[in-house]
Parts: sequence; C-alpha cells; structure tokens
Amino acid sequence: MNIFELKSVSAGYGGAPVIEGLDLGIDVGEFVSIIGPNGAGKSTLLKVLSGDDLLMAGSVLFNGRPVREYRPRDLARQVSIVHQTIEAVAPFTVHEFIRLGRFPHQPAFTVESDGDREIIEWAAGMTGVTGLFTRHLTELSGGEFQLVRIAHALAQNSRIVILDEPVSHLDIQHTVMIMDILWKLNREGTTVVTVLHDINIASDYASRIIGMKKGGIFFSGTPDEVLRYDLVEDLFGTPCIVMKNPTTGRPFVYPVPGYVK
Amino acid sequence: MKTGYKIAIILFIGLVLIAAALSLGTRTILPWDIPRILLGGPGHVDYTILVKLRLPRVLLSLVIGASLAVSGTVFQSVLKNPLADPYIIGVSGGAALGATAAIVLNAGPFTVAVAAFIGSIAAITAVYMLSSRLRLGSTALILAGIALGFILSAAVLLIYALARTEQIHRAMLWLMGDLSGARYDMLDGLGLVSLLLVLAVMGFHKHLDVISMGERFSKNLGVTEGNIRSLFWLASLLAALAVSLAGVIGFVGLITPHLMRNIFGPRHLRLVPAAAFGGAIFLLVSDALGRLLAPPYEIPVGIVTGFLGGVFFLIHMMLREKPE
Repeated sequence: MNIFELKSVSAGYGGAPVIEGLDLGIDVGEFVSIIGPNGAGKSTLLKVLSGDDLLMAGSVLFNGRPVREYRPRDLARQVSIVHQTIEAVAPFTVHEFIRLGRFPHQPAFTVESDGDREIIEWAAGMTGVTGLFTRHLTELSGGEFQLVRIAHALAQNSRIVILDEPVSHLDIQHTVMIMDILWKLNREGTTVVTVLHDINIASDYASRIIGMKKGGIFFSGTPDEVLRYDLVEDLFGTPCIVMKNPTTGRPFVYPVPGYVK
Repeated sequence: MKTGYKIAIILFIGLVLIAAALSLGTRTILPWDIPRILLGGPGHVDYTILVKLRLPRVLLSLVIGASLAVSGTVFQSVLKNPLADPYIIGVSGGAALGATAAIVLNAGPFTVAVAAFIGSIAAITAVYMLSSRLRLGSTALILAGIALGFILSAAVLLIYALARTEQIHRAMLWLMGDLSGARYDMLDGLGLVSLLLVLAVMGFHKHLDVISMGERFSKNLGVTEGNIRSLFWLASLLAALAVSLAGVIGFVGLITPHLMRNIFGPRHLRLVPAAAFGGAIFLLVSDALGRLLAPPYEIPVGIVTGFLGGVFFLIHMMLREKPE
C-alpha cells in the first residue's frame, strides 16, 4: 500500500513553483534514493512529504488522507525528517537532544514514561551513540552529530524516516556507518526516503532510485533499471560509464573527465 | 556539582538577600527582629517601615525581576537570538510613550501605569500585525520591533522637546526604572497575574526546548504556529506588566536567562524557574543598592541593574573563557 501518494503536485516558496506536475507513490518498506542536479527540487519534495505547507497545486496523501488535514503533532508521530542542516544548536547534551524526539508523543506536564525511555535507549543503541550521552551537541564532530540527529529522528518515530543528504561532507567511515544503519532499519521495516548526491551510494543501498530534473521526475526504478550510461548522462549532463560494483553487484557510475556538457 | 546542591545554595543565598533587603535602609532593622516586629502588630514605627515601605518594595522587585527574566527567556528561545530581551519587540517604546504622555499631562502614578500598559500593548499589537504571517525566528519580527522602537522614541523625544523641565525630569526618572512607588494595591493583581503567566510559560517548557533548536525543527516535531503565538503573547504580557509598574528596567531580562542557562543548562523545565528566581533576586539586590548607596538620594534601579549586570556579566564571561 502506498503511504505517500502525490498527484500532479506543484510546490514552491511563493513565486515560480520549484516542483511542477509531479506524480509519485511511495510504498511501505521501500528504500527510496532521490538523485539529480542541484536545484532540481529534491529538498522541496522531501519537505512536501514531511508536511511543510508548500503545496501550490495537486494533492499529497499520507495513508490515504491529505497531509494538510493532519494535526502537526499526529504527523510528527509518524514521519521523521533529518534536514540537511540544523538551524540553531542550543547547548543540549546528546541525551537531552535525543529525548526531544519524544516531544510529539508527550502531552504537556507529563513525564517521560518507561516506554519513552526504552525507545530512546533503542534509538541510541541502533545508531551507536549511547557512549556520547553526556557530551554536548557543540562538542561533537560532523559524523557524530549526524548519527545523533538520526538517533533523534528514530526516537521520534521509526516507521518512516526522511533524510536530506545525510552523508554529504562525511568521511567514508561515517558514510558507510550511516548508510548501513539505514539499510538495517529498512530491513526491519522502516520506510526510508533520502536525497543523496553520491549516485554509487544510492545504487548500493536503495531499492528504488528516483532521478529528478527541473522540478519533475526524470526516471524512477531499481538501480539496475535506471542507472544506465545514457540516462545518467541526460540527467546530469555529464558523460558516464557504468560498471558493476564488485562487492554489491549494483551498478557503479563513473563520470568521464573532460566532457561535461 | 549535583543540581540539588546548586538549588539549595542558590535558595539559601536568595533568602539571605531578601532578609538583608528588608533590614537595611535609613533605619536598620535587624533580621532576627523581623518576625517579632511583624507579630507585634501595628503601632510601632519599625512595623510601619517594614510593612508599609520595605515589604511592598521587596515583593514588587521580586515580581518584576521574575517577570522580566522569564519574558527574556521565552524571547531568547522563540527568536533564537541571544540578544533578545523583553523589550525587543517594542514593549518599552510603547510604554515609554504612554507614560511620558501621562506624566506631561500631570497624571498620578496609577494613570501613568495604565497609560504605559496601554502603550505597550498597542506596540505589541502593531508589531504582531506588521509581521502579518508571524514568522518568528526570522529576523522580520525583530526588525519590525526595532523600527517601531525608533518611531516611538522619536515621539517621546518630541514630547520632551515641548514639555516643561520638571515634567521631563519626572518622565526620565520613570524611564530609568523606578520601584519607589511600590504599594500593596499594585501588588495583589500584578503578583497574581504574573504568577499565572509564569505558570502558563512553564506549561510550554517542552515546546521551548524544541523551539530553541530552530523553527523548521520544531515544526517537524509538531509545534504549531498557535503555540508560538501563545508564547509570544505570554512573554509580551509579562514584559508589559513589568514595564508599566516599574519603568524600563534594562538588563535583567537579557542577562539572567544567559547566566541561568550556563548554570542549569538549556532545558526549560529548570531554566524557567531558575530565571524567575534569578531575575527576582537580581532586581531585589539592585533596588536595595540603589536605596543604600547614596542616601538620602535614591539611584534609579535601572541604572544599578545596568552597572551591576554589565560588570557581573563581563566577569562571568572572562571566568568562563577556558584557555585552549
């Protein structure tokens, strides 16, 4: 069953729409990677999915009901999003920050329940940040912070997780660490939707790759179906060769130097 | 240090300071005599000084200090700006215009307070309307507040330019912050309303935690614009009440939240009560010093908070600066 159903969606920030006439369905249990050139509307699409009111035309259904009709708190209980950047960093400890993820589940004046505590422990264990609990957010490295933000998202909800470029600017150890966590979550039933800049990381982990260009969907399919040299060249305007990753058996895309259109 | 100890120590210091503020003045009343004097009932001159003069003033300084500090805490979280204080959106400008106009018209203290309150509420409403789709956290609101502040202070200066000297002096004293008019009839209502407003803010302590990490972040966790609007009004009302009764007392609402955040951390479950307590004690001490430093003159409390707060904060920052 489709948890997200987008019909001829146009969305943007006032003025010209960033996304135009987009149709998309996302199934329970999918691992969707969105790739595409800068400015194609990838982040905007994620924001639309997470309930931001950017809709100019069309409809966005979540579990068969328009996203707009959900109370923000109800939506927050079911969909977590990790944005590309965080706007402000108050000096919380890692533990305090992850606990904020339980916010939509706790009415005012209630204390943390045993259930909340269990979920927080699980989220921290899943991402391997339990050892960082007493550290302050301001003292973390980029990789550690990203793990902590994912733990926060999991504490909020672990059924549907949306991530905007979760591994940009990270070293390969943290990149693989985070992608492995997402893969493991996905195998346990979490629906993962993520924007990635690295085509090969998308290829290794995703069950479906969506290529976006100029506010619309350019292609959508399994890595084997869509990561063909001609399609990738059309999407990015960069000639590529495609081979097989020897460890995963997935397509491996390599740009040809010197021939950018 | 364990938080329990911190709280115990700070509460103890607070009690000592309250006792000291009640004791000291042109006539010293020893702290251990206070219960006996109070039980002795009216008739004695010490009783009159204590009950009619010092107690209302101490209570007023506590209530106003707490209101300003809690208001500042909320604005700093909602606007995600460490320089935010209770007056950032024009409360003080509106109050100053209202009060100055009333003073120039030779109004009594009660009318001045009412005029100041009306002025501040008008200013808040104007800023609120200006930032029509209330995108708090964006700089739009702060800029609207600053712009309005300029207009209002220009209007106040215009009144000064036209008014007579003794009225200007009275108006300027009001602007500097003044607790000398403290009477019980001010306290009943104000104390109760401020307490209710602070409790309402406490009801939002989890929202405040989430909001302090950013607008988008809090929205994705289910914080609504309505929540933010409520907090905006709670903080504005606290500031408006405080400023109408005691004038523009600066620094309390800016510095107390900072200090308390450094001591107790950013969680508002602790931060809001800590700021309320800290602001109350800060203003109590400042007002007592203003009374005691240069008798028979009184230094307006706003001047003392500026000096004391500024110096204290600089020292605190230098001590906090850890060598690399």
